[in-house]
Amino acid sequence: MAEVIIYSTPTCGFCTLAKDFFNEKGIEFKEIDVSVDQEEAQKMVEKTGQMGVPVIIINKDGKEEVIVGFDQAQLMTILGIE
Amino acid sequence: MYDIIIIGGGPAAVAVGVYAARKKMKTAFVADQIGGQSIVSDGIENWIGEINIAGPILAKKLKDHIENYKDEIEMRFPARADKIEKNEDGTFSVFIGEEKLKTKTIVVCTGGRHRKLGVLGEEKFNGRGVVYCATCDAPFFKEKDVVVVGGGNSGLEAVVDLLKYADKIYLIARNGKLRGDSVTQEEIIDNEKVEIIYHSEVQEVLGDKMVEGVKIKNLDGDEKLIDVQGVFVEIGSVPNSEIVGELVDLDEWGNIKIDFKNQATSCEGVFAAGDVTDTIFRQNNIAVGDGIKALLSAYDFMKKN
Repeated sequence: MAEVIIYSTPTCGFCTLAKDFFNEKGIEFKEIDVSVDQEEAQKMVEKTGQMGVPVIIINKDGKEEVIVGFDQAQLMTILGIE
Repeated sequence: MYDIIIIGGGPAAVAVGVYAARKKMKTAFVADQIGGQSIVSDGIENWIGEINIAGPILAKKLKDHIENYKDEIEMRFPARADKIEKNEDGTFSVFIGEEKLKTKTIVVCTGGRHRKLGVLGEEKFNGRGVVYCATCDAPFFKEKDVVVVGGGNSGLEAVVDLLKYADKIYLIARNGKLRGDSVTQEEIIDNEKVEIIYHSEVQEVLGDKMVEGVKIKNLDGDEKLIDVQGVFVEIGSVPNSEIVGELVDLDEWGNIKIDFKNQATSCEGVFAAGDVTDTIFRQNNIAVGDGIKALLSAYDFMKKN
């Protein structure tokens, strides 16, 4: 099973689409709302160099993928789902 | 051989798809995303039939509507059409990677994308302080100083989004006045956090790892540096017309030229609707109506040929 983390803000449309996609495919994920959690926001910026959401981190088979933005085709490839 | 291939996933494309299914046309719907540019909108108050609807909810409704016909039309989603060729017999080939789909007609509904500044530093700092979605990313700029570029509606709305977070917001307008709605103008114009700089353009985005400032230039050629940690770019959109660039006539901005009566392009059998066309008004409701016009025209064309 892949471990999925999504950094989001409540007003981010693409974050909502990404979460809908995970729910639709039955993929569990952890959400971090960076608009309320400034510490996590800072960590995310340091880790990814990105000051924008969504950022999705997928840990699968010991490999970590950092995805900026929502690209359904790319997520399906990384997660290995149809 | 398809009767029709629809390229795109915004409101225009979904309208075409729903009508195509109901006309029982053999249809392929090729989209890498469904929902259109309003996905990023916090609340849409002019989508007719809804008093207020969030962008992602509208996107979901559009997706549900088109997927309701998934037994009638072939959903190629998520997929990206890479190339279109016109065949000698008047039909077309649409390529998704190596795969080739043949069709009698095409409706192009590929919409628009964010216009970039096209200045030094913009690409380097994309996601590192340069922002194209204010509603998404404003929370990162708590207690920071930012510039918003663009005096139209989206620029003013970005300022409103940022008021909750940023300490200081410079709004850079190219003209001597703002173009956005007067309701929104009133909301920001007297706010002490906001400073409006008219007749100016951004020349360069500066910084080391993250944005640290911008260089702006006014009409007289005077340059000025402003220290900011964020640059919000809201200067309109450009059409995603590259895929048919060699097939149909475009206007000087790259919009697909259409016949406003029937959405026909300069290439027989190819129709277009929504923000990718040279329509005067870029609106969700208009994209839907134009999409339906395009479909009905494509249907007539198919019957005649």
